[in-house]
Amino acid sequence: MRYQNATAYRFLAPYLLIFSIFWLWPIISSFLISFQATRTVPWRFAPTFNWGRLIGDPAFFNALKNTLLILVIQVPVMITLAIVMAVLLNSPLLKARGLFRFAFFAPVVVGEVAYSAVFRLMFNLDYGIINKLLNSVGLPRIDWFSNVTPAMAVIMIAVTWRWAGYNAIILLAGLQSIPQDVYEAATLDRVSKLKQFFYITLPLLKPIIVFCAVLSIIGTMQLFTEPFLITERGGPGGGTETLGLLLYRQGFRSLNFGYASAIAYTMAGLAIAISLVQLWLTRDPK
Amino acid sequence: MAAVTLKNVVKRFGVFEIVHGANIDVNDGEFVVFVGPSGCGKSTLLRMIAGLEDISGGEIAIGGKVVNNIEPADRGIAMVFQSYALYPHMSVEQNLSFGLRMNGNPKADTERRVKRASEILRIAELMKRRPRQLSGGQRQRVAIGRAIVREPQVFLFDEPLSNLDAELRVQMRVEISRLHKELGVTMIYVTHDQTEAMTLADRIVVLNAGNIEQIGAPLDLYDDPANRFVAGFVGSPKMNFMAAKVVGNDEGAAIVALANHCGAKLRKPLSGAPPAVGAEIVLGVRPEHFFEAGEGDCDIAVKADVAEHLGSVSYVYANAGPEELIIEREASRQRANGDQMVVSIKAGRSLLFDKSGARIR
Repeated sequence: MRYQNATAYRFLAPYLLIFSIFWLWPIISSFLISFQATRTVPWRFAPTFNWGRLIGDPAFFNALKNTLLILVIQVPVMITLAIVMAVLLNSPLLKARGLFRFAFFAPVVVGEVAYSAVFRLMFNLDYGIINKLLNSVGLPRIDWFSNVTPAMAVIMIAVTWRWAGYNAIILLAGLQSIPQDVYEAATLDRVSKLKQFFYITLPLLKPIIVFCAVLSIIGTMQLFTEPFLITERGGPGGGTETLGLLLYRQGFRSLNFGYASAIAYTMAGLAIAISLVQLWLTRDPK
Repeated sequence: MAAVTLKNVVKRFGVFEIVHGANIDVNDGEFVVFVGPSGCGKSTLLRMIAGLEDISGGEIAIGGKVVNNIEPADRGIAMVFQSYALYPHMSVEQNLSFGLRMNGNPKADTERRVKRASEILRIAELMKRRPRQLSGGQRQRVAIGRAIVREPQVFLFDEPLSNLDAELRVQMRVEISRLHKELGVTMIYVTHDQTEAMTLADRIVVLNAGNIEQIGAPLDLYDDPANRFVAGFVGSPKMNFMAAKVVGNDEGAAIVALANHCGAKLRKPLSGAPPAVGAEIVLGVRPEHFFEAGEGDCDIAVKADVAEHLGSVSYVYANAGPEELIIEREASRQRANGDQMVVSIKAGRSLLFDKSGARIR
């Protein structure tokens, strides 16, 4: 038995080695770095240096506010949209289902830089198609990137466009796992399609919805590409700066690794805490 | 309560015709079982009665009213599914009352119906549990309870016992029989298990490849099957079929020679015209209709391969050339390890079928 275990560990050794060097050690190391003052060389142990700064840093709270705002507005909208898309994809009336499935999933495989560039063009003040459409229905054009609220809206729209289809595909798998005869039983019970959706589909889909929500919360907590590329490094004036962007700014532009590590751990902690609250709120009653 | 009438009912999926013009009259309060092998169209027929499948042709009437274009919920039927189809996120009580609550049924009436169903099925102590906390038999009871609360005119059962183990199946069979007596409602029951059909039904409809082979009381089908398919399907173990040839006619009787039994001959009196001399036919004998050597009209020798001792009876699996035969023996304790044995066939206890499978009477 012991010999068999040793053999298994020998086979696992290459993976464990790589995992330890490139995963485990950075996780531990960054935690240790967060307790060090890293603005001057040599680094020195100063437990409250970064964590103390975090509590009083307006830039951190601005990024936290922006991140939570996106989380609170964009995630529910996207999940709702994804449920609607999944239900439509699951409809027996839909023709060319495979094509729609691919179309909904496609944004995920589009390169981040390319999609960000397209969104910048679409929302361009002078040439963007969005302002042209607004004009065509008699609405004034919007300077999307010079004001905080519209810039935030663009980020939320972009993230929703990119990830709603992905979530819809996951939810579709959940929908397809609900047995058809449950709906047939409800039909025989004279339960309307709408009531079937609210009283059967949604409750049975709840674990998948929670899964998608947790994934989206984690994703939003790490949001970086969109504010970096679409609103040009969290512009205007830090109005769309997220925690991910602040981490990047501190870690890789100011080379303040200690503070960046503290931000990273705060992001991870928040993602875990929010996800746990979400799981607790949506738990199955005993 | 209501009678159910099917007139030339046809079901097509695309170009494939699954049910070819079914005609069935189910009387008010009757327990009718649709039985047949997998894919014979029995479940499709039931789902058409329920309204869960469109009818491609013909007419279905429940209580004298044609229901072809009537919504499933308005047909006065309740259905019990093979997989139970319980709402997994609801308690037993919620499962039973869901349909009534969704339709704004008065609370007091809903409670009364749920209570009655729980008493009939003895599930009162399970009311707060979720389906996943129930055993297979309990789930099936809840599924039946959900049908009862609808107070339907017709109960439809789609293979309700096939997910249960053998012992529970026998128990639930008795329960369903008791329920039918207690409620006195028309019940249509689909199964592929002929034992269930034989034990539950007032009448059985035997289906094969979308055709109705025979409709009749269980013992009528057993004693007097219309064709080789029904003869083989009804009865367990199944009827033995032996290749034979008509070698002569004698005053309304056919002289039949068994092809694989060294020319053993049997004189089989017939009510109709005997088949032509030289016609190749099939002789059917049920396992319990083999007698001791010399007791019947024709003796045959077989080699006993395996014996299954069930206690009160034994089944000997024997062969004679290419033919496998199952022979029932009462209170036999003999081992079978290639022994030769001689059994006897009685003309009155055998059936003749022509090459197409039609009965020769």
